[in-house]
Amino acid sequence: MQEVIAHKASAPVTPFMSQYTVWLIIAVCVCILVMVLAAKKVSLIPEGRFFSGIEQLTNWFRWDIGYNTIGPEADKHIPFLAALFFFILTSNLIGLIPGVACPTGVIGTTFALALASFIYFNYYGFKTHGFLKYMKSFAPEGVFFPMNIIVWLLELISCFVRLVTLAVRLFANMYAGHLILGAFALLSALFFAPILQGFTGGALLGALPSVLWMALLILMYAMEIMVACIQAYVFTMLSAVYIQLAIATEH
Amino acid sequence: MSAFAIGIIGYGLGVIGAGIGIGLSAHGAATGMARQPEMQSRLFTVFILGAAFSEALALIGLVLALIA
Repeated sequence: MQEVIAHKASAPVTPFMSQYTVWLIIAVCVCILVMVLAAKKVSLIPEGRFFSGIEQLTNWFRWDIGYNTIGPEADKHIPFLAALFFFILTSNLIGLIPGVACPTGVIGTTFALALASFIYFNYYGFKTHGFLKYMKSFAPEGVFFPMNIIVWLLELISCFVRLVTLAVRLFANMYAGHLILGAFALLSALFFAPILQGFTGGALLGALPSVLWMALLILMYAMEIMVACIQAYVFTMLSAVYIQLAIATEH
Repeated sequence: MSAFAIGIIGYGLGVIGAGIGIGLSAHGAATGMARQPEMQSRLFTVFILGAAFSEALALIGLVLALIA
């Protein structure tokens, strides 16, 4: 196990293109292709499973993340959030195919996504409040003077911590999930190996744990599909919450 | 003890907190849903967010244990 990780960590870094980059490009292409295909045949009554499925998904996205979280001015922010959501969902799901390097399983991709979200919500914060007022709005009103500055400082730090947690959450979920799947696959292969060298009763008995590991692997795989969807949702949801906090007007 | 073993132990300690956190948020969501079933979808969102926040800590621990 440790050797596998060490090997992975010391793999040669290619300056231009890595395995992850290739799958990143493929994920982007798949995402764009599906969306363009779905958008080409927009009609009042969607026909077929594919079109009505995509329409249900976008409609749910618009209501759940848009109007329920951001509020009435959500329409302006939905294109950005939907792009984030569908890209992350596609790359998470594409990473689950055996042999594919998950594009969101590297810190570089997730950090870039988090940076985009961070710049976006700060930009809209500055735009709606103006520089000084947005800076002031970090500290809640009604706190007396010396505490005011401390709270403001803490909130400023937490604003930058958002950037790190957004990136690390998605990366760690994907990376850890794939690591667990890999460990279970390795274990089920390990116990199965003696059978290939000679088919004896002892080897057959020794291969029994392999069945257990395989069952666990399938269970974890099902859970990873769930995690892939939930993490895409969580990333987008948190981005929406941050946008809402940035553009909220004090009453 | 190797650094790897110490890292694994640290990860185990970190997971305790995350487990308690996720359990508490599930408890809160379940109680809220039982009291007010019509708020189910909103509560589910809050539960997922709360669980994601606490889970992130455990995952940061796992990544640190593997990197260190």
